[in-house]
Amino acid sequence: MSYKPELTGSWWLKHRFFMLYMLREATVLPLVFLLCSLLAGIYSLASPEQFASWQAFMARPWVLALHGLALVAALYHAFTFFQLFPRVMPIRIGARLLPPALMVAVQWAAVLAVIVLFLWLFGNSQGAI
Amino acid sequence: MRNCSIAVQRYLPHEHAEPFWQHFTVPFDESTSILDALNYIKEELDPSLSFRWSCRMAICGSCGVMVNGIPKLGCKDFLRNYLPRNYLASESTAAVSAAEIRIQPLAHFTVERDLIVDMNEFLVHLEAVKPYLITDAGADETPLEKHAQTLAQTNKQTPAQLAKYKQFANCINCGLCYSACPQFGLNPEFVGPAAIALAQRYNLDSRDQGKAARMPVLNGHNGVWSCTFVGFCSDVCPKHVDPAAAVNQGKVESAKSMLIQMFTGRG
Ligand code: SF4
Ligand code: FES
Repeated sequence: MSYKPELTGSWWLKHRFFMLYMLREATVLPLVFLLCSLLAGIYSLASPEQFASWQAFMARPWVLALHGLALVAALYHAFTFFQLFPRVMPIRIGARLLPPALMVAVQWAAVLAVIVLFLWLFGNSQGAI
Repeated sequence: MRNCSIAVQRYLPHEHAEPFWQHFTVPFDESTSILDALNYIKEELDPSLSFRWSCRMAICGSCGVMVNGIPKLGCKDFLRNYLPRNYLASESTAAVSAAEIRIQPLAHFTVERDLIVDMNEFLVHLEAVKPYLITDAGADETPLEKHAQTLAQTNKQTPAQLAKYKQFANCINCGLCYSACPQFGLNPEFVGPAAIALAQRYNLDSRDQGKAARMPVLNGHNGVWSCTFVGFCSDVCPKHVDPAAAVNQGKVESAKSMLIQMFTGRG
């Protein structure tokens, strides 16, 4: 004789740790919205009218708010990912482990480099127009 | 000594069909562990209470229980952790007695009696990953010759080679990580954190050649890919094994081995 408690659908509400995990997984939702918006942008290139209405759509406050949320979500997901990375891919030099904090810092430095690169590219193309 | 309220989830299948809560008052001080409290209950209050323990120093791994819903080693967790700060100095007995500590059997396992769970559900997964050194050496020799040869070779390992797997070798098989893992809770066939950490421990061992034999279990449906990196297993591990890291290192290995298999037909 024995019993086995079943795990209910609300298991993730029982501990802060699980809620943060669900938050990390939920970051995908605003990002899917952003991707759909961008995809719609590509299709709207078919005609000038469609492109204009897509631009109007992108300027709506609630769309801007959701895209802002997507940015925050992407940064939060990156934060969790960078934190986990040194544990999944530890780099050893001889018997010594490369300090995880250093690996996290290098990843954020790479993000910064990409942002600077895009600002520079974007800035230049704006000048060209 | 002050008193503290403890509730224990009991299960006595021959007397009650359902589990039930029983409340106790236990005297305690700074050094009283959860296990000490359980022993006090058994010796002084209710001898029918069943629970496992042996070493009482976080080595045997047999005293795992849920304390306020979190998997803990009874001998490594103290009542003082659950009570208001300065409880010994404070005059108010109300504050201490208000905080009732709830003790339950390890989650995600079948409960047989009181705090005793069926650890076999965990041990079959440990066994499945072949957690021992596997060597190709001396395949066609007699067992005795083979043994002699293994003895002659076994102990050569540099500190750098040891460092690669040492952390994963610290596991005491307490099973707390299985109680922390919602994926194991939802799918008991999932090989699970400690077993995958142990597989990784041997795969990373310079003396071992058994990786090809272990990968099918890790690659399978209930292997590493069942993990979604919740990571709570590493949080509760009393030995800092970081099984979540092992499982996700296992994903990298599994991806590599599946690619190799795709292109060469070999594992
Ligand atoms: S990995 Fe940690 S929590 Fe899991 S069985 Fe081993 S010692 Fe216990
Ligand atoms: S009694 Fe051995 S680990 Fe707690």
